Amino acid sequence: MKSKKLLSVIVGIMCMVLLAGAVSVYAGEAASDLAAIQDKGVLVVGITDFAPMDYKDENGNWIGFDAELAEAFAEIIGVDVEFQEIDWDNKILELNAGSVDCIWNGMTLTEEVAEAMECTGTYALNAQVVVMKADKLADYADAESMADLSFAVEAGSAGEAVAQEAGFEINSVQNQAAALMEVAAGTSDACVIDKTMADAMTGEGTSYADLGYAVSLSSEEYVVGFRKGSDAAAALDEKIQEWIKDGTMAEISAKYDNAVSIAEARDAAEEAE
Amino acid sequence: MFANVLSALSIGFLKTLEIFGLTLVGAIPLGLLICLGAMTRIRVVKYVIRFLVWVIRGTPLMLQLLVIYYGPGLIIGDNWWGSGEHGRFIATIVAFIINYACYFSEIFRGGIQSIPVGQQEAGFVLGLTKAQIFFRITLLQVVKRIVPPMSNEIITLVKDTSLSRIIALQELIWAGQSFMKSAGIIWPLFFTGIYYLAFSGILTVVFNRIEKKLEFFRV
Repeated sequence: MKSKKLLSVIVGIMCMVLLAGAVSVYAGEAASDLAAIQDKGVLVVGITDFAPMDYKDENGNWIGFDAELAEAFAEIIGVDVEFQEIDWDNKILELNAGSVDCIWNGMTLTEEVAEAMECTGTYALNAQVVVMKADKLADYADAESMADLSFAVEAGSAGEAVAQEAGFEINSVQNQAAALMEVAAGTSDACVIDKTMADAMTGEGTSYADLGYAVSLSSEEYVVGFRKGSDAAAALDEKIQEWIKDGTMAEISAKYDNAVSIAEARDAAEEAE
Repeated sequence: MFANVLSALSIGFLKTLEIFGLTLVGAIPLGLLICLGAMTRIRVVKYVIRFLVWVIRGTPLMLQLLVIYYGPGLIIGDNWWGSGEHGRFIATIVAFIINYACYFSEIFRGGIQSIPVGQQEAGFVLGLTKAQIFFRITLLQVVKRIVPPMSNEIITLVKDTSLSRIIALQELIWAGQSFMKSAGIIWPLFFTGIYYLAFSGILTVVFNRIEKKLEFFRV
């Protein structure tokens, strides 16, 4: 009996130590995130299936405007690139947990993003547009006329934010593609998605030939986000400015039907600020 | 198109099967261990184990997946699971094994405690040790009694595998949804139902067979 009591005490202590250990090992910020990535030898890029920024070709390889830029950046810092599909809702969680190193997927600069991530400067421009059945476009020429429509938006997206601001009746769905699907299926009257995606996926010759858009609710900027405090963001930003100036960006955009509107290079005066 | 969808769904289904198989392989022995822990006379162990079972059975598996996968990176600052699909898979298996072991342990406990104490006493009188009584007298009867509740739980597991989608593991549902995103077609998502149905159909048949096989002795 004595030995059993001893055993129970030992087990009890072990449990406490484990618990205390788990709580106390809270590690501080790494000195250099860029160095950590280079150490690891791979840049893990968090993406979703989002044409034309990141999507799969027939062979299942990731291509797209952002995918090509990410590959170029990885080569410059001397690591491999790995594309990891994530839940867009969990993007900040994924970054902070270290399961991805950056979010590079036509990400709109929102207040939430700016607060939670270390962002590069703007590299491309975008707008939130209202997509609906093409034959109804003429009836809804501005945002005011749409008050009685039901909207599908991606949960946690910039589209959701502007739709809420406009006072629309919204349904939050899993991603932008699901929002488009809602409109195609008639379960929602309209959806608010990125212009980039609307250009690529609606209109003639696309999966949604009978959908279209006419109204933009807001204009916005695309950035790449790293972990808060990461020095990799500044390193990439430098490259982005270079790529905008030397035409590399325009060249890549041309490959994707110029669906991406490239941002203007910041001038030196702005840089100094 | 159909061939494309079928091959993508089958790859997803393979992942689903892997989760299913590995969970069973891990959760059944761990469940037995937890069950013995919950019945032990050592109080501390008993209460710690019962607390664990309460927490695991009392919180959603989806939440456990999120905590287990993102927790280490967020709380300790070190992502144990490694990047990429492999890390997600390991974390999923760990979460499923812990969760299902807790449910199994309660089924095992019910089975063991349903065997009349008189049999144990008779064993002692005949000079058998505790281990001999458990393995030679109790165990087979327990197995027979727990087949129906276990089949219930195992068929639930088939469908629960889809929860791993929350940490972006690319299993069957993910595979079906990806066609919604890229090609804008929705039927592959519904078609995944056929896979789940067929698989749980096979399991039902298997469990019926097992029950029949154990029919030869009645208690």
